[in-house]
Amino acid sequence: MIGQRFSPWLLLAIAVVLLWTFVPMYWTVKYAFMTKTEVARFPPVMFPHAPNLAAFYNIFGHDYTAADGTVYRASGQWSQIIAGIRNSLFIAVIVAIVTTLVVVPLAYVFARLDFPHKGKLLAAILLSVSLPPVSTLIPFYALYVQLGLVGTRTGLIIVTLTITIPIITWMLIGFFRNLPPIEQLGRIDGFSRLYIFARIIVPMARSGILVAAVIAFLFSWNEYVYAQVLSTASQAVTLPAAMSGFLFQVPEPSHLAASLLVSLLPPFFIAYFLQKHIAELNLA
Amino acid sequence: MRETPDASRRQTPDRKTAVGPASERAELSNVQFALVFAVPVLIFLVVVVAYPLAYAFYISFHDVRFFGGYRADFVWFENYAAVLVDDAFWASAWRSLLFTVQTVILTLMIGTGIALVLRDLPPGWRWLRALIILPWAVSPYGTGIFFAWIGRGQTGFGTALASAMGFDTTITFISADIIILYLSVAAAWNMAPLVAFFLLANMMTTPARLYDLAKIDRMSRFETFRHVTLPPLRYTYFVFASITTVLALKIFDLIFTMAQGGPGNASNVLTYTLYKTSFVNLDLGYGAAMSFFVLAFILGLTGILYLVWGRREDRR
Repeated sequence: MIGQRFSPWLLLAIAVVLLWTFVPMYWTVKYAFMTKTEVARFPPVMFPHAPNLAAFYNIFGHDYTAADGTVYRASGQWSQIIAGIRNSLFIAVIVAIVTTLVVVPLAYVFARLDFPHKGKLLAAILLSVSLPPVSTLIPFYALYVQLGLVGTRTGLIIVTLTITIPIITWMLIGFFRNLPPIEQLGRIDGFSRLYIFARIIVPMARSGILVAAVIAFLFSWNEYVYAQVLSTASQAVTLPAAMSGFLFQVPEPSHLAASLLVSLLPPFFIAYFLQKHIAELNLA
Repeated sequence: MRETPDASRRQTPDRKTAVGPASERAELSNVQFALVFAVPVLIFLVVVVAYPLAYAFYISFHDVRFFGGYRADFVWFENYAAVLVDDAFWASAWRSLLFTVQTVILTLMIGTGIALVLRDLPPGWRWLRALIILPWAVSPYGTGIFFAWIGRGQTGFGTALASAMGFDTTITFISADIIILYLSVAAAWNMAPLVAFFLLANMMTTPARLYDLAKIDRMSRFETFRHVTLPPLRYTYFVFASITTVLALKIFDLIFTMAQGGPGNASNVLTYTLYKTSFVNLDLGYGAAMSFFVLAFILGLTGILYLVWGRREDRR
């Protein structure tokens, strides 16, 4: 297998993997380029006959006039979508920065140093990974009502950090464990622990740290459960919460597909970047 | 902090390892260094994780009513007892278990398949790797929408394909008897690429020499896979089996956008039952009691996984 060029079997396998990857995406994304009547046609069409960008104009608040003179009206939710993109970006960037700043030293400490109660503290972090968001929602909601954090970006940032910090700490511990044991050498040279961490470990672990930041961004960007309850119809609405209007309140497949496609762009750039670095982050 | 007495005790062995001028100066010990970083985070986690847990625990002993004014009556273990004999709850627990087992198996299998294809790509085709990881970047929310539309008879790929081939049938995957399996397929679509990338990273570390030896031994492709490729991957498999188990038991948004618990109750898994109890029926005390059962399931299943599999891998 190794060192062999294309065999027919390999070609078939590549085709299967590509179909598996792209058919589910394509099937929904194509709605973004179709008209309402075409979406509703039965049997369903495989390819849009006259692809148009109406849905994209509409979700950003513009009417669209097709070649045949039909006018597609702007979506009533366009302001929510635009606010959603702004809020989601803002929240995800802050979450990525804070998570990285917190998680990198924490994971390092857990991976490389010995201290009392380490096992128990680690178990506490893993416990918080296991909590299903659905069961912590009501307590959070009750707490947030009292603190006035419902419908604020601060509130969403805090709640998202409770997801990202434990899970990314967990991921990074394995990564730090696999770095060469450089501390002893640094100690012999008389460097302080802080110096060793900041000047030797952090630069060595650069790719792992980047991956952690990126994963935190993705978690925040894709988070839906908390956002739906804590931010819907508020100033702080995020993109997934804003999109869900097209799914439930006023079903609008082409608008939903268009906003879904928009929401996929940042993760896709990130995934492209990530696959270059991911091999270096060894979970095990 | 409770750690202080321990900290002073740790000083002596610590100094032994820290040779050189640094240990002479006033300097942070391991413990102090660890505390400086760990304590703020732990306080944050305690506040934002322990608080909801404690609140849920408190509520789970109460009967909460909203109609006719908010009232919370202390009812001891009534909620827990009611969950124990709730058939609908156990049915959803069974669905969750089924969903989780299927998702783990599918994710690991499909992940392996993708990893093998990616490994064998000729040098000029490596850019395909960037494309194949894309499903992982899609949110569970988006994945749910994708698979709802492609699987539904009215709008689905199956129906379109059948009509293209001249059949006049409706093919749907959103039906009561296969919806759990279909949900697992969607979840696996979402998660498998990540597994594939970690497996691929591990496969790269297997020396090519071993494959040459396998060829000399005239091993078949399957034997080579079983005896050469697979053994070094076992720990990665264990790690991802655990991660997928936790994620599958926790997942809500995928099921919410894909099937909303339906058709009928067929995709009513634990998280969905929990959602309906607390948010639709507003039975907060009962929902809170239920959530502790769910937490117990998650910890129990990962614990079992560790005992029967992980411990063996740890020792290797």
